[in-house]
Amino acid sequence: MTASQATGSEPVISLLGTSALLFETPGHEMAFRTQQRIWALAREAESWPEVREAVPGMNNLMLSFVRPPRRLHQIETRLRGAWDAVEPLPLAGRVIELPVVYGGAGGPHMADVMAHTGLSMDEIVERHSGPLYPVYALGSHPGYCYLGGMDARIATPRRKVPVVSIPGGAVSIGGAQTGVSASAGPSGWNTIGSTAMHFFDPAQDPPALLQPGDMLRFRVEKVIR
Amino acid sequence: MSIDLVQQLSAWLVDTDIGLLELRGPDRQVQLRLRNDGGGAAIRQESVAAPSASARPPTSVMNSPSVGVFLHRHPMRESALAPAGTRVREGQPLGLLQVGALLLPVCAQQAGTVAGLRVAHGTVVGYGTPLIDLDPL
Amino acid sequence: MIEILSASALATVQDLGRSGALRWGVGTSGAMDPLALAAGNVLLGNDEGAAAVEVPVFPFQVRFTDDVSFALTGADCAARLDDVPLLPWWVFDARVGQVLTLGLPQAGTWRASRAYLCLAGGVDVPAVLGSRSTQLRGDFGGHEGRALRQGDQLRAATPGRSAFATGFGLLPPALALPLQIDGVPAMRVLPAAEYMHYTEASRAAFWSSDWKITAQSDRYGYRLAGAALEAAHTVEMRSHGIVPGVIQVPPGGQPIVQMRDAQPSGGYPKLGTVIEADLWRLGQAPIGSRVRFIETTWDEAVAALEQTQAWLTESRRLVELCRRQRSGRSS
Repeated sequence: MTASQATGSEPVISLLGTSALLFETPGHEMAFRTQQRIWALAREAESWPEVREAVPGMNNLMLSFVRPPRRLHQIETRLRGAWDAVEPLPLAGRVIELPVVYGGAGGPHMADVMAHTGLSMDEIVERHSGPLYPVYALGSHPGYCYLGGMDARIATPRRKVPVVSIPGGAVSIGGAQTGVSASAGPSGWNTIGSTAMHFFDPAQDPPALLQPGDMLRFRVEKVIR
Repeated sequence: MSIDLVQQLSAWLVDTDIGLLELRGPDRQVQLRLRNDGGGAAIRQESVAAPSASARPPTSVMNSPSVGVFLHRHPMRESALAPAGTRVREGQPLGLLQVGALLLPVCAQQAGTVAGLRVAHGTVVGYGTPLIDLDPL
Repeated sequence: MIEILSASALATVQDLGRSGALRWGVGTSGAMDPLALAAGNVLLGNDEGAAAVEVPVFPFQVRFTDDVSFALTGADCAARLDDVPLLPWWVFDARVGQVLTLGLPQAGTWRASRAYLCLAGGVDVPAVLGSRSTQLRGDFGGHEGRALRQGDQLRAATPGRSAFATGFGLLPPALALPLQIDGVPAMRVLPAAEYMHYTEASRAAFWSSDWKITAQSDRYGYRLAGAALEAAHTVEMRSHGIVPGVIQVPPGGQPIVQMRDAQPSGGYPKLGTVIEADLWRLGQAPIGSRVRFIETTWDEAVAALEQTQAWLTESRRLVELCRRQRSGRSS
C-alpha cells in the first residue's frame, strides 16, 4: 500500500513502516479547532485493539500498532469514518507563564529570524511574546510541547543543517511553529531565547508537566541586543 | 537407548521432514520411524555383531551427541575450531553440531592433540557417529 | 554482578524498548539489534525482553564479582573469559573473579558492530515508564540514565551457579535469514508520505545505489552518503510522529535514517521507512560500510516480521530442550 494521496481536501493516510500509520489533515494550517478534533480522534483510536498509542502531532495523528494489522484498508476506513464523526474535544488546562531572555548567547539564531522576516528584534520579541499558546501535542523529546498560535509573520524555515546541541530551555521557531526545549539535544529550529523550567520528571505520574489543553505565555524578562 | 533420548530426538525433529531415523551405536542399531499422524515414534532396536577384537586404538574418539550437521568451524568464522595437530584443553570445543538453529559443541573429553576429523565439514551425521580423534596427553 | 573495567565505552543498558510513552515525547530507545538481545536472553532462559548491555565500542572489559551465567550475541568480538577464547552467540558460566574481554568485531562471515552481553535473569536495574532501556536525552532509565563508566556495577536478576545447562549456541539471523544485494547487506523499505515528492531520478537512485554509513552515525540516526536526493517541490511540514527506521531527507539531499534514540516526532520530509523486521540489519552495519535498500510491500513487510518472530520462537524451542538436559555440562 502506498500513501493514499490527497485530492487536497481529504486527509492523507500514510505508512511509517509496519510500526505505525500517519493521519494528516489536509493543507498546511495548524488550526486550534482541528487540533481539538485530533484529540478526540486520538481518544477514540486508543480504544482500538490494533492501536498501542494514538499520538497527536500538529493537526495530525500517528497510530502506533500493537502488531501490524493484516488488512490495512479496514483500519483506514475506520479512521476516516471516525474523523468525519468526531466533535472537537474541549480539553481545558492551566495557563503557565515562562520568563524568557530573548537574544544574546541563549538566542543564537535571532539574527537569522530577523534576516528571513525582515523584522527588527523588538518586533520579533513583541510578536513572539504576545499570544497565549495552546499546547497542541507533546513530542520530540521528553516533556517537549508543540504549541499552536504563533504569529505567521515571524515564521522562519527549519535550518538546512540541524544544530548538534541546543540546551534545555531554548525557545525556538521552526517553520510556522514555536516551542521550548525540555533538555539538551540536536535541533533544526531557530533559537531566539532561553527560559528556565522543568518540563519532565519520570518519577511523577504523569511524567510530563504540561499536556494538551494547557496554555503557555512567554513573558519578556530581558532582551539582549 | 533410553526412552528420554527418543522423546528428546522426536521433539527436536518434529518440525523437520525426516520420517525415518537410523541410529547406530557401537553394538546396536535403532530405527526411529516418526509417524505422519503425529502419533509419535515407532522404535525398532537390534543388536549387531561387536567389531572384531583388534588392538584398541591409542586415540580417544569423540562421537556425535546428536543427529545434526557436523561443522569444523563456527558459521560466523572462517577458520576451523581445531584442525589436526591443534593442542587442546579438556572441554574445548573441537567441532560443532548444528540442529536447526541450535549449535552444540563437540568437546575434547581430555587434554591432548587433535589427531584428525573423520567427517567432512557440512556432513549430516547421526547420534553416536565417530567424529574426532584425539591423542591424549 | 559485573564491574565495568573499561573507560569511555559508550555501552548502555537496553531492553526491547519503551512503549506507551510517546504521548509525553519519550521515544522507544532499546537495542539497535533487538534480535541479538532477544537471542541472548533466550540462551539464558530469560524473558526475551530482559535488559542487557549493548556494547558499541571495543575493546570492552568487565569483571564478574559473582558466579553468574551470561550470553554473548551480536558482533563476534573474539571474546575471552580470562585467557579462554569464547564462541560467539553462545551461553556460558562465569565464576567470581573472572574477566570477560570483548575485542574488536571480527570480519568473519558477518560484519557487525554491536555486541550484547546478557546476564541470567536480565540486568537488574529499575524499570522507568515500563522499560529498562536507557533514555539518554532526559537522563533516565537503564543504569542511571547514562552510558556505563569504569567502576559501575551491574546486578544480574538471578546470579549464582545455573541450575540449567550452558555451553551451546545459536546460528545468528544474519546467516539464517540472509538479505543482500550485490554482496552488500540490504534492508527493505516501505515508501512514506513524501516519497512521490522526489524526482523520478532520485527515487531510482535511492533503490539502486549503495549508501555509505558515515562517521556521523549513532543511536540517534544513521547519516548516509550517496546520491543527492532532489525534491521535485519543497514543502514546509507540520511536526508529526515518526518511528525508528524513518528515512528523512533534510535540504542537502543526504538521507538520515532515524534510529532507536531518535526523536519520536519531526518535520522533515520522509522518503520511506526501513521495516521493523530489518532495522537490526542496519543497526549492525558498521561505520564506513555500505548498504542497499529494497522496495517492499505491506504484505511482504508483515511476512518479514513474522519470519523473524518464527526464528526466535524456533530458537527458544530448541534451546529449552537443551537447557533441561542434566546441568553442569561445561563449555
